[in-house]
Amino acid sequence: MPDSVLSFQNVSKNFSGLRVIDEVTFDVERGSRTALIGPNGAGKTTVFNLISGVYPIDQGQVLLDGDDISTLPVRQRINRGISRSFQNIRLMPHLSAVENVMLGQHSHSRSIGSLLFPLGWLPRNRWAKQAEEALAQAGLGTYPGEVVANLPYGVQKRIEVVRAMISEPKVLMLDEPAAGLNEQETEDLRLLLEQVSERGVTLLVVEHDMQFVRRLCDQVVVLNFGKKIFEGLASEVQEDQAVKEAYLGTEDVGDAA
Amino acid sequence: MLLVQQLISGLMIGGIYVMVAVAFTLTIGMLNFLNFTIPALFMLAGMVAWGLTTVGIHWAIALLGGVATATIASLIVERFTYRYMRVRYGDATEHALPLVSSLGFLIVFEHLVLIVLGSEIQRFPNPFSSADFYIGGLIIGIPQLASLVLALLIVWGLSTMLKRSRVGRALRSIAENPDASTLMGVNVNFIVPVVFIITGLMAGIAGMLFTLNYAAVNAYMGDEVAAKAIAGMVIGGLGNIWGAIAGGLIVGVTEVLAIHFFGADIVKIPIWGLLLVLLIIRPSGLFGHTAIGKGKF
Repeated sequence: MPDSVLSFQNVSKNFSGLRVIDEVTFDVERGSRTALIGPNGAGKTTVFNLISGVYPIDQGQVLLDGDDISTLPVRQRINRGISRSFQNIRLMPHLSAVENVMLGQHSHSRSIGSLLFPLGWLPRNRWAKQAEEALAQAGLGTYPGEVVANLPYGVQKRIEVVRAMISEPKVLMLDEPAAGLNEQETEDLRLLLEQVSERGVTLLVVEHDMQFVRRLCDQVVVLNFGKKIFEGLASEVQEDQAVKEAYLGTEDVGDAA
Repeated sequence: MLLVQQLISGLMIGGIYVMVAVAFTLTIGMLNFLNFTIPALFMLAGMVAWGLTTVGIHWAIALLGGVATATIASLIVERFTYRYMRVRYGDATEHALPLVSSLGFLIVFEHLVLIVLGSEIQRFPNPFSSADFYIGGLIIGIPQLASLVLALLIVWGLSTMLKRSRVGRALRSIAENPDASTLMGVNVNFIVPVVFIITGLMAGIAGMLFTLNYAAVNAYMGDEVAAKAIAGMVIGGLGNIWGAIAGGLIVGVTEVLAIHFFGADIVKIPIWGLLLVLLIIRPSGLFGHTAIGKGKF
């Protein structure tokens, strides 16, 4: 039986009476690279928001390592091991790259003591050092002091991944990580995510770029109009009739992106 | 020589305006919230300190009690203005209600003091009444000098804290985007009160220094100082700490020079006139940026 790290069980969500997620159930295997795909408006980002705690769920459960985290606030979910990036980059543009990464460490600050001690007056305190090392490991060692607003989009995307990784998550959720990136930037990002995955972190990726999905992911969950229509191996998704129909009638999934 | 003496006096009174201006600019820069309770916090420090001396408490302990009262009062304001709006509507900064309710708290605090301690101008025991020293014919009052030095040291400490400490980084991220900060794991509900604690401390210490300098307190002592501090903040550029320092000192010097040249009756005209002219020439103030909070600390 597969070892599931994250379990989305019979979850529903309504917005103003409209059901946007309809009794969706899927499991994310530990250490897997799972893609969550579907046509526009299928509810992929909503699923991310329900898992990370941005929206409360109306029905069902979200389990992390078997524990129900459905009612926990965002911060506690991060502490338990859920971390995410966003469709539109949500870095702080006027903070430096290393400061943005260090914000990811704040979920571990449990008291005022941990915020004030160590105070971090020294230029190279252990938090900064950890963040700089994480940037260097991701091939971003030349950017720590740079203000994020001045950096290229592809670099910002990778910084966001490093920021999400610094909280040492069990599951890293990436919302359209390759959107807006050129070919080289996409490849750099994929290599970074391979590296993250090799460290044992489970990846859950919402992505429209099917080539990127095929190269990165081994498992796929497909949503359409808020319902799950496929769950299985990435190699099998293109042959599934329901998936083909969801993507532009009967057109092949590979062409949909 | 007389002009130099006036400049020195202006800088010294400016130190108090700097602290109040920084208190204002911090809540605007961090939370996009003009906190009208600050004059009351300033006044509470002085009046509570005076009240404590009347029951036999030593002036130094009384002053610390005044600063502590201002800080607690600031946290009460946070609880019932900013946090209330955030819990109820998810966002406090898009509404004018925190501003209006902070104005309400100003009136409540002032009237509580009026009821309990009265409306008269009260004399605070002046421990430094003859503590002046002379440099080349210039008179320098120790309380005034201490005010300026302490004000600049505190503001420097605050600025360093915002730049270097984890709590400072969290505050700057909240200034940029409170929602994204929450999603990154920053404990916004825990960090925001820190702004109000700092505000209470800054306004309270400014009130304490004012009380020591002038040895007189009353229930409205904060209003005039806060108006000048707001002028200083706008001159320096909204939401910018270094702007508040420059603006506060400029207002202090302008005030003293205006009194020297034109008399005390028209002192407000040069200060607000300067503000008006500056805003026409440079609407964002001396150090102002395009948007509140971002990249200013």
